[in-house]
Amino acid sequence: MSLILLSCRQNTKKVDLNGSEFQLDEDLKVEYAKGFEVKKIDSHYLLIIKEPWPDADKTYRYLLKHKEEEDFNTNIEYDYKINIPIERIVVTSTTHIPSLDTLGVLNHLVGFPNTAYISTKRARQLINKGKVRDLGQNQSLNTELLIELNPEVVVTFAVKGQNKGVERVKEAGVPVLYNADWVESHPLGKAEWIKFFGLLFDKTETADDIFKGIKHEYEKTKALASSLNKKPDVISGALWKDQWYLPAGESWQAQIIKDAHANYLYANTEGTGSLSLSFESVLNTAQNAEFWIAPAQYTSYGEMLEQQQHYRKFKAFQNKTIFSFSSVKGENGGVLYYELAPNRPDLVLKDLINIFHPKVLNHYENHFFKPIKQ
Amino acid sequence: MRKEPKIILTIFLVLFVAVLFNVSLGSVSIPFKDILSSLFSGKSSQATWTYIILEYRLPKAITSIIVGSGLGISGLLMQTFFRNPLAGPYVLGLSSGAGLGVALLLMGSSLLGLGLSSAIWFSKTAIIAASSLGSILVMLAILITSSKIKDSMALLIIGLMFASLTGAVVNVLSYFSTSDELQQFVFWSLGSLGDLSWVEVCILAVFWGIGLALCLFLIKPLDALLIGESYAKSLGVNIKFLRYLTVIATCILTGSITAFAGPIAFVGLAIPHLMRLVIKTNQHLVMIPAVCFGGAFIMLICDSISQLPGSDYTLPINAVTSFLGAPVVIWLIMKSRQLNF
Repeated sequence: MSLILLSCRQNTKKVDLNGSEFQLDEDLKVEYAKGFEVKKIDSHYLLIIKEPWPDADKTYRYLLKHKEEEDFNTNIEYDYKINIPIERIVVTSTTHIPSLDTLGVLNHLVGFPNTAYISTKRARQLINKGKVRDLGQNQSLNTELLIELNPEVVVTFAVKGQNKGVERVKEAGVPVLYNADWVESHPLGKAEWIKFFGLLFDKTETADDIFKGIKHEYEKTKALASSLNKKPDVISGALWKDQWYLPAGESWQAQIIKDAHANYLYANTEGTGSLSLSFESVLNTAQNAEFWIAPAQYTSYGEMLEQQQHYRKFKAFQNKTIFSFSSVKGENGGVLYYELAPNRPDLVLKDLINIFHPKVLNHYENHFFKPIKQ
Repeated sequence: MRKEPKIILTIFLVLFVAVLFNVSLGSVSIPFKDILSSLFSGKSSQATWTYIILEYRLPKAITSIIVGSGLGISGLLMQTFFRNPLAGPYVLGLSSGAGLGVALLLMGSSLLGLGLSSAIWFSKTAIIAASSLGSILVMLAILITSSKIKDSMALLIIGLMFASLTGAVVNVLSYFSTSDELQQFVFWSLGSLGDLSWVEVCILAVFWGIGLALCLFLIKPLDALLIGESYAKSLGVNIKFLRYLTVIATCILTGSITAFAGPIAFVGLAIPHLMRLVIKTNQHLVMIPAVCFGGAFIMLICDSISQLPGSDYTLPINAVTSFLGAPVVIWLIMKSRQLNF
């Protein structure tokens, strides 16, 4: 007994988190993402998830220590202590997959809920080889399977409050990390979450380089468009029954349209999610919009008209200037945009600039947004 | 001059004013002058306004009239037929059948491998077809069972059982569906009056007309049935025939309305009670037109409120009908201290 006590007393590191001893390395700084921050303490990291879900009143703190390091006690408060680099990971959102792919750590992915939705090519190969187990539904993960997989961490997300599906996993002693990339309202903020995975796999420099590359491309392209004279009006979304759903003014979609030097007609509305508006108000505001992007799930003018005659009244419909991401699909029919776009805002921006200002990017072929069919 | 023509004239005048009121309110505020000129000459100072009034608000107003009167009549038929004040247009399980059809379409298409959520499955025609199919299947099941049983009350229980059965399937489907699919289904179940084109309104009107025409044959036998099934039999009413006709009329009215506008809550149950409390009679010759008018009138008012005039947002119609309807019925019952049923 005294031995145990003794060993506990050893190695206790006292740290003042607000002290000036935290000289952050350049590659640990978080620029755009509001949902997480990183502190370096000696050779380990404290990863703080500041906003695990919208308006969260709880933060999560993960202490990441290198595997070869000796275990230690500390006065730092944390939810989990995790040994990095991790070898076995379970993620729960398709938006996490491209990060793992670009970091080159997809081979560490052991499980995913509903693998059918994944489109990333290398991930699909692994799934087809049976390397990635299907864990059922995200809201009710197959706990038995998951525990059997013995992952070192499960990366999940919660729409509001904790994700009930993972409570049992926590009880089983598997660390559950919250990834809130989807809460970010700046496009580059979403992409910056690659640093979250960079930390887990001890590839902070690689993650930082990848992010810098995306940021550089984004800002370079944005600058190209910003000097243009023309600023076309843009509308988005579509009707479902008699409600029109479109991104709110503070959403990341609205931000990208703005950065593509276009005038999103709902740019001044509040909120980071989506708005549901009455048909007549949208017709009144957006009838003459020059471009219409992301009209819900539609991929052709015929489909749109079959569903709702009212679409005919819109100038973008008459002029055939509607563009959608719904037709670009992965091997299993998952829409690529949902998976990749949050990770690659630079590509989304280029797509949109190529639509709104066709001559700016030479020989660029759109990744997500294609003109919808007749 | 006799009393009836005066009353009928007043009713039509009130209905006309209600339509005008309904058409003049919406998210976009349009001057009354332009509303009148759009309605009567097809032109106004802005082409968009004319379009909003003639192609959006007017079909919505007509749909409101059809839905309100159709569901009111269905409710009346069911209440008399089962001699049960709690009966409404959906007691036969029609909305459950329609709901199952739509749920299979919206949430089951990816699950059952009918092509991963391809847009065609979400098209309006497909939803209308799925909903009608669900209702028709339930109707056939009800007709078959009603030919086998003696007691009409058994139909009530069977309707409830159908609702439970389909509810279970819908639960399983929603459990496995994505949040998008689930949202689409929930929104369908909230009902909407405003997404029908003129063609669809016309199709709906035809079914509505057939349903109402069938009711004309039911006026006398239903009056007799109010006193009791054996009394009605002694008067020479063919109960079996009456049962078939009532079920078919209700199914046509409710099924078509549910297919085009979704399951609209509350009006079918409440309107007959409201009208009974107001005009204090149970005679179907009076009740059928009264319920028709009352349902149409109340639906127009509810729709006007659900548009939240002046704001960019709207409320689901089901929220408005129940939220406003329930207190009114409670108040009327308290006032007259009895159901008058």
